[in-house]
Amino acid sequence: MFEKKAPPLFDGLAEQFKPSDDMIQTPLHMNGQYAFLFYLKSVVDGNTLQQTVIKPFFEMSSEESFTSYIQSLPNRIDMPNIDKLLILLSAGFVLIAIGNHIFLLDIRLVSNKEVQDTLMEPTVHGPQKGLSEDIEVTINLIRQRYHQPSLKVETILSDDESNRAIALLYDYDRVNPDMLKKVKEQLVELDTPLLQSAGDLQHFLNKGTFTLFPSTLITERPDRIVYNLNNGKVIIVIDGSPDVIIVPVIFFDFMSSMEDNYHVFSVTAFTILLRYTGLFVCILLPSLYVAVTSYNPDILRLELALTVAGGRIGVPYPSFIEVFFMLFFVELLTEASMRLPKAVNSTATTVGGLILGTAATEAALTSNIMVIVISAVAISTFVIPINEMSFSIRVIRLMLLVYSALFGMVGLLVGFIGLIMLLVSKESLGVPYLRIPWISKNEELRMDKR
Amino acid sequence: MSGTQKMIKRFFSILMLIALLFQSGCAFKDIDKRIFVLGIGIDPSETVEDGFRVTLKLAKPAGEVKAEAAQGFTHLAHDAESIAEAIRDMETHVDKKLEMGHNRSIVLNKELLSKDMDTFMDYFTRRADIQMITYVAVAEKTAEETVSFAPDTEPPATIALYNFFDNTGTESPYVLTTFLFEFRREVLSKGINTVLPIIDFNEEQKHFIVNKSIVLKWGEEPVELTQVQTKYFNSLINNVSNFTYKIEEDNLHLVLHIDEVKMKYQIILDEGETPRIDMKITKVGVISESTKRLNNSDLKKYDKIAADDIKKKVMDLLTTLQENNVDPFGFGLRYRATRLSHKDTIDEWNRIYPEIEFNVTMDINLKSTGAVE
Repeated sequence: MFEKKAPPLFDGLAEQFKPSDDMIQTPLHMNGQYAFLFYLKSVVDGNTLQQTVIKPFFEMSSEESFTSYIQSLPNRIDMPNIDKLLILLSAGFVLIAIGNHIFLLDIRLVSNKEVQDTLMEPTVHGPQKGLSEDIEVTINLIRQRYHQPSLKVETILSDDESNRAIALLYDYDRVNPDMLKKVKEQLVELDTPLLQSAGDLQHFLNKGTFTLFPSTLITERPDRIVYNLNNGKVIIVIDGSPDVIIVPVIFFDFMSSMEDNYHVFSVTAFTILLRYTGLFVCILLPSLYVAVTSYNPDILRLELALTVAGGRIGVPYPSFIEVFFMLFFVELLTEASMRLPKAVNSTATTVGGLILGTAATEAALTSNIMVIVISAVAISTFVIPINEMSFSIRVIRLMLLVYSALFGMVGLLVGFIGLIMLLVSKESLGVPYLRIPWISKNEELRMDKR
Repeated sequence: MSGTQKMIKRFFSILMLIALLFQSGCAFKDIDKRIFVLGIGIDPSETVEDGFRVTLKLAKPAGEVKAEAAQGFTHLAHDAESIAEAIRDMETHVDKKLEMGHNRSIVLNKELLSKDMDTFMDYFTRRADIQMITYVAVAEKTAEETVSFAPDTEPPATIALYNFFDNTGTESPYVLTTFLFEFRREVLSKGINTVLPIIDFNEEQKHFIVNKSIVLKWGEEPVELTQVQTKYFNSLINNVSNFTYKIEEDNLHLVLHIDEVKMKYQIILDEGETPRIDMKITKVGVISESTKRLNNSDLKKYDKIAADDIKKKVMDLLTTLQENNVDPFGFGLRYRATRLSHKDTIDEWNRIYPEIEFNVTMDINLKSTGAVE
């Protein structure tokens, strides 16, 4: 009996995928009707394949009607070139050949569809669920919170080895077209061997190797995303990562928590004040301690000066080594408690924080005022709502410490002014980093003429 | 040179630069390598002719502040021809750096007040770290004794000597405050005399007594004010509150508590009249103690009684000052400031002041009897 052969394309593809065991190349055959399927078993949803392709094949009366059935399926996409085809097949697409027609169907099996809890930016009020690792679910979550026809979703396939889908989301009516163009250019120019997560992508979007401050913001909160969409920002979603990237950002974005919008005015004002105080405390306090104890003790009140001087009796090293030493241990502690499994975590904190602190004072390695300073610094670091900023701050305070160890109070001031200069000269996709949110750029430029 | 070698070189150079960080800056001196000077006493020297004996009160830091019973002090004293020399010599008597930044009291011996104040205080007014914060006072006994005296009410990490003056501790109309910069300004300007508080102490009961003051005169013997005069002067010039006043009439004893004092004056020089100063004083307060039951409607009466009495005391103060030809109120300064200036202005004032008349209007305003009705 005459037997139809699979099209030569299939054989070529089979060659490419060998020796993978999960590659399936199978013919469907009934009453002289033929169809050929080609897919990777491990990434294709077998159930859907059975329901939407195999079953209808045996129920259809002719090859023509099956062809038109397949043709009208919503998950069918046009045939791309051979390179892209290979990528799509490995992502879970199914190739069907009927007669002379070849179709490509999206029957992907995605196992990481569940919506994750917000872990990094928890709030008391507001949504408790974050995004999903699957790009479709993520986009769904965002669209379900922002019902606007002007919300555009553009998908770009990344150029690296993983070939992840990257989607750009923006409100067409509000976004700045120049900025959008810049974002797209940057994504296209992206030159990286392997892209794993939003954090990775952000790293490549931040231009320059030595950057102190992040120029993009990573978030997992859908409410923050919608808020930023509404303000004309671009959201970059990357497949396989539960975080998205928001561009462009200004410094003050990193200092705002979504909860600021959910409380009454007085509470919000107080927490914002608290947060900025915390920011200054954790940047300045260690260097201030060095500058004040070793260069200008007359700044302190006499009572405090005497207590500090008394506390330092027997401390072998100068104050800045003391601060470096303690900061180093606190950084170790923070880093350790971040990486440790949750079960061991509290032990590490107790041992590190309490025992080390007390023991170091009793062994006269540090003064007890120093322990207070360091704990205040450690606590206030956590007040900064976005983690990347608090990481940056942790590095910056070391630099300020160097300045104040070398030049005292003057050094601290010079270092701080330098820090502000750095922030002022930085920009995120054309938006000045220290832009004051409620004043437009033009108004800001006219400030000096008032 | 290959890339790896370059990398290694770069790594080591960065490492060495980081090692440099452990070398601190040149002004770096840890707080435990400094010793705080908390008071300076100046006496005339007995060994050096025309010299000074300078006493420094130094704080000994305690490891456990809470465990100490009292602040530990130590004293350094040295005789030299000038203050700067004495302090420079004393730098060789301690192993730590003398840190003046917290020094807030300079105590002078009475004998020095008639000397050339400008020169021996020069050292202090030139020091940028203390000129704005230091109080100047006069010792009833010697400056050395006063500075080294430790009262019983001095817990660790505090110093009683200037808690008196900075209004964070006691607030009393008897305690007068003069800053170093004020002192210098008033010593050098014409038309005003400096007033300094007098610090005395009680050896047996171990406490300070600060309730008198002294008016300096350039190159002459100073004029000492009594306790009452100090109170009146201080309340008028510094608007010090917590002013109590006792009235005795028939068999009624009243103690007034004055919260608010306002004083205005005007120098009036009209043709043909004797020059006079019109002074208007307003005091607001309550009655804090009485031997009788008082009625709110009688307040006006008590106002009047108090006003007449207080007026007498103020007049007494003003005339005493006038008789001694000292002017701590700065009437002369006001005169110089409000008249057309020429080179004889101050001489003119010096002629007018001894015969000027005072016209005091006293306005007492009692708000209530203080009692709960």
